[in-house]
Amino acid sequence: MTLPGWTREPLVHFLAAGALVYALSAWSGGSSVDPASRVIDVGQDQQAQLAIQFERVMGRSPTDAELDAQIDRFVRDEVLYREALRLGLDQGDAVVRRRLVSKMDLAAAAAAESATPDEAVLRAYFSSNSERYRADISMSFDQLLFSDEAAVRVALDQLEANDSWQKTGERSALPPSMDRKSLRDVRRVFGEEFAQAILRLDQGSEWQGPVRSGFGWHAVRMREQSRATADFEAIRAQVENDWRSAEIAARKEQAFKLLRDAYRIEIDR
Amino acid sequence: MQKAWQKYALAGIASFVLASCDEVATLDASQTGDGSDTIELAEFPDRPYWGDTHLHTDNSVDAFGFGVRLGPEEALRFASGEEVTATTGAQAKLARPLDFLVIADHSDGLGATRRLYDAPRIGVVAQYDETLLRWYDMMHEGPEQSQLAIAELITAAANGTLPEALRDPERQAENTRDIWNTQLGLLDRYNRPGVFTAFAGFEWTRMPDGNNLHRVVMFRDGSDKTGQVVPFPGIDSTAEQLWDYMAAYAEKTGGQALAIPHNSNLSNGLMFEMTMPDGSPMTAAYAAKRAASEPVVEVTQIKGDSETHPFLSPNDEMAGFGVTGWELGNLPLTARMEPEMFAGSYVREALKRGLSLEQQLGVNPYAFGMIGATDSHTALATGDEDNFWGKHTGNELGNETRAVDAQNLGTRQGRFGWHYLAGGYAAAWARGNTRAEIFDAFARREVYATTGPRMSVRIFGGFGFTEDDWDGDWVRKGYTEGVPMGGELEDGGTAPSFIIAALKDPDGANLDRVQVVKGWLDASGELQERVYDVVWSDMENRPRTGGKVPAVGDTVNRENATYTNDIGASELRSVWTDPDYTEGERAFYYVRVLEIPTPRWTLFDAVRFGIELSEAAMADAVAQERAYTSPIWLKPSV
Repeated sequence: MTLPGWTREPLVHFLAAGALVYALSAWSGGSSVDPASRVIDVGQDQQAQLAIQFERVMGRSPTDAELDAQIDRFVRDEVLYREALRLGLDQGDAVVRRRLVSKMDLAAAAAAESATPDEAVLRAYFSSNSERYRADISMSFDQLLFSDEAAVRVALDQLEANDSWQKTGERSALPPSMDRKSLRDVRRVFGEEFAQAILRLDQGSEWQGPVRSGFGWHAVRMREQSRATADFEAIRAQVENDWRSAEIAARKEQAFKLLRDAYRIEIDR
Repeated sequence: MQKAWQKYALAGIASFVLASCDEVATLDASQTGDGSDTIELAEFPDRPYWGDTHLHTDNSVDAFGFGVRLGPEEALRFASGEEVTATTGAQAKLARPLDFLVIADHSDGLGATRRLYDAPRIGVVAQYDETLLRWYDMMHEGPEQSQLAIAELITAAANGTLPEALRDPERQAENTRDIWNTQLGLLDRYNRPGVFTAFAGFEWTRMPDGNNLHRVVMFRDGSDKTGQVVPFPGIDSTAEQLWDYMAAYAEKTGGQALAIPHNSNLSNGLMFEMTMPDGSPMTAAYAAKRAASEPVVEVTQIKGDSETHPFLSPNDEMAGFGVTGWELGNLPLTARMEPEMFAGSYVREALKRGLSLEQQLGVNPYAFGMIGATDSHTALATGDEDNFWGKHTGNELGNETRAVDAQNLGTRQGRFGWHYLAGGYAAAWARGNTRAEIFDAFARREVYATTGPRMSVRIFGGFGFTEDDWDGDWVRKGYTEGVPMGGELEDGGTAPSFIIAALKDPDGANLDRVQVVKGWLDASGELQERVYDVVWSDMENRPRTGGKVPAVGDTVNRENATYTNDIGASELRSVWTDPDYTEGERAFYYVRVLEIPTPRWTLFDAVRFGIELSEAAMADAVAQERAYTSPIWLKPSV
């Protein structure tokens, strides 16, 4: 079954979630409870809710006496809660404020956290973020370490005709060759500066350089360097993770913008 | 009434969301298992893979109370190199992504403070527990009160006086299972063989009388196996029961788990005892069980360094890194550390004790490798001095006075913000980045610890290695004719030799020196230790004087927290043969690599925020970061 496009609109989800909250609250027996009302009706639904709450934390049903105690406490809390609202104690309280803000954000994000995006949505996200999903570069190269730049230049002239290239350069525990390693691996072993520099080298049997690293100066022979096209299927889960993360942020922002548009903001400059 | 119902409705939505997270993603089969046969592997371990095995998120009772609001998903995104928004609002990103991560939330009361916080107050009232209700109210009052509440909670856990609701395993079990299963699904989603490995784990938080006996448990497997168990609670159980739980897991699922003790420095001598926990003589069965379950210890992390202490190693002038403040006593500082407690609290001494116990029992309970970790409670796994996000959310990067503030633990007794280290990392020599490869490196102890920098350190032990070996494929020779770190050599009547190579962090500071730390049991049954300077920078111009290698120097500019690599070496190598070998003596050898002095996080803070450090804090604001390898053991031939 294909749902119409509007069902995927975050705004629709947000409004639907809001409507659901409203419907639940309306259905809950409080029908039109006005926080300013001085009637507290502890109906069957409310009592059942208290019993469930008790059971969830205590692991058993309350006895009649315990339920009565729960009701007494509920009534006490409700009276004080309403009086607090009447006195405006919820105003200017940083904790109340932050709590309510985060609940609004949660409501906006909720639908995205549980949504299963369809193939088209993910593929669209994948192609519009293609730079991020460019497959890691794979490379094979040989390298020699020298103590300074000039030594590399001298060596470059002699290396061409030299079969025993591994005898050249400084002794080092760095691997002389990397075979079919990702740029990620190269960066870990040789560092950021080297990894950036060798991307600019030509592929071939020529020794090139000097290339600088945290260890010194290198001559490098880039035997092979390839960048396969990213395969959507292979990284589908990653794309979905990223999509969800971006979607949650976007929905919070959209929900906020929608509400904010109803305000006129005046900031003294 | 209306608002109360909205609260329920929202809670309902939230719990639905949490419950369904593990079902939403479409996973490639390679992500959900142990990673075997998913990527091309090198012939021999070809590089150290970097990770943190000890990270807390908002599912940890204390982390949530300290204020963190980032969960496992943000933790995984951050560790794998993505930018996230930290709880306190700033953007956080690693300069270099990690290769693997173990999320290790406390098994006790997993998610409990978050549930407590989210519960309607009336639900908490229904618990008939004054303490719980007080904590609830404190948590809602604001960040500072919340942190106080959690400090109380940690003390209560240490004293065994936690409210019933937080310790009843049956009551916790259902909630724990929900959180665990959700998390396992998430870990599989973020596990990408060859790129980033996400491990399931938890922290077992046993702390008799406040003496820290904590372990991180790490699983090798995907959710098909780990989903068959739930994290094992620590408060009312013993370490032996934990090992039984791990053995039962392996038996039931065919999977594997290992336990990593940490903060022995806060155990007041209980972590590495010469006896059973009850004081009776240690049995071979106990020692064997411990050895099988705990191949690795966490030797350095935010709450101090446990390698050794100047009290135990008076001849080691480089001892004493990261011990200030922590050496005073146990975790909540309810009991002071007495002199006789030091030996059971530090790792080098434990390695020595292991030799002695092995002589008596035929099995060494303390033959472990070493790793570093963060133990961060911010969901941000970083051990980088210039990117330190604090021990917990109360001292994240936005808290400008965190370096000079008193700690919430043992405040009056003198633990301050600057005593925190930025935390360390674990390096695993593996053939590729999968759950199986990394875990197996831990199991065979081919791992090492650093206090944050990513230097590459190799050691191979054998007989007859020489300097000429550098001319050939010395790595192959090391593996085929010797053993790597974590391995064992059988005494053949000649002195063992070691191929040792250390490369600086490619994007970090130069190296000062490479040392071999040897511990042994001499012919008279006495335990001995000695630190050998094996190779150091600028050796011609820096000869030993009075038997000691002179200090490397110091290029740190205190005004702007910078250093230069004008001193030190980018690489140090040596083939070293034990000059004090005596046939038949049990011994271990591990390598310690020191960097040149660099700024600690406290100096970065002082410069960034323009705060003034105390004299003691300033003296400690520059340090020589270091690496500790797992040992190689020399055993008498049988």
